[in-house]
Amino acid sequence: GMNPNDDGMFEFLHMELVAMLLESEPGQVSNPSKAVVSHDIERKDTGDAETTIQSITLSSMEYIGFSTGYRMVERLTKDWPRFKDELDTMKFICKEFWTSVFRKQVDNLRTNKQGVYVLQDNCFRFLAKISQSQQYIELSPKFAVYTCGLIRGSLANLGMTCAVTAEVTSPPACRFQSSEMA
Amino acid sequence: MSAYNMYVFGKNGLLLHYSEWNRKRRSNMTLDEEAKLMYGSLFSLKNFCRKVSPLDFKDGFMCYKTTSYMLSVLETLTGLKFVINTDLNLSGTRSLLEKIYSEVFVEYVVKNPMWQIGQPIQSELFKTKLHEVVNQHVASVQRS
Repeated sequence: GMNPNDDGMFEFLHMELVAMLLESEPGQVSNPSKAVVSHDIERKDTGDAETTIQSITLSSMEYIGFSTGYRMVERLTKDWPRFKDELDTMKFICKEFWTSVFRKQVDNLRTNKQGVYVLQDNCFRFLAKISQSQQYIELSPKFAVYTCGLIRGSLANLGMTCAVTAEVTSPPACRFQSSEMA
Repeated sequence: MSAYNMYVFGKNGLLLHYSEWNRKRRSNMTLDEEAKLMYGSLFSLKNFCRKVSPLDFKDGFMCYKTTSYMLSVLETLTGLKFVINTDLNLSGTRSLLEKIYSEVFVEYVVKNPMWQIGQPIQSELFKTKLHEVVNQHVASVQRS
C-alpha cells in the first residue's frame, strides 16, 4: 500500500533544489523577506553568506537529474527482457519509469519516427501544487529541469543519447521533448 | 447556511490569508487592524479558558457563539490558527477547518516553494482550492 505521504520527502527535497536555483539567479526572485523570516529558521551566517551558500545552476540541477535517472533505470530494468526498439524503450520510460517516480504514467506519447519523442504529463507532480493558471508561468520551466535530466539519464543508460527539453504552457501540464543526437 | 469569512494566522500572529464569502457587515477598521484585534482576542480567550478551566485543558479554545454567528478556531501543533465565521446552523466546522489545514494549506502552501515561510500567501491555486472546499462543505450541510 502506498501512502501518499511517502512521497513528501522527495517533493520537499526537490522543492529546495528549485528554491536554490531560483535564488542563485539574480533578478529572478528577489528575496527581501529572507531577512524578516522568523528567527528559528534564519540562517546563522551573515555578511559573507553568499560565499558560503553554494549556488546551483540549471545545468547542475539537470545533471543531478541525469545521475538519478541513470542509476534508477539500472535498478528498474534488472529483471526485464531486452527492448525491441526505441519505441519500446520510450514506452518503458512512460509507464514503468514514470510510475516509479511520479506514481502515474505519462498521459501521451508521440513521435515523428525520426528520433523525436514528445511525452506529455497532464498533471505534472512538481507543478500540481503550485499553479493551475498563468501565475508563476515564467518560473515553471525551473520545475521541469531536474526531470529533463531524469529522462536524459535513464535514456542514456538504455543506449539512447538524447537532448531533453521541457515546455510548460498550461500548468500543471508539462511536455517533455527528447531528440536523439546523432 | 453559510460561511462568512476566514482568517489564517501564522505562528507569530501575522495574517497569512483572509477570505470572505457573504459578509454582510464590516468593522470600521482596516483589515490589518481587524486581524490584529482578532488575533489578540483569540490569544486572550485562550488564556482565559486555560486559567479558569475546571478540568484538563486539552483542545484549547475552539469556538464561541453569539445570537447571530459562530466563530470556530483550529490551532495546529505548529501554532497556525485557522479561524472561520459561520452562521449558527453550519455544522461540522471543526472538520472543515481540519480539512482546510491538511488538504489545502499543507498541499498548496507548504508544498509551494514560492511561499516564503511565515509570509502572507500569494498563491492563486491555494485560494481556488480553499473556496472549493468551503463551498463543498456548505453544500453538503445543506443537502443533509
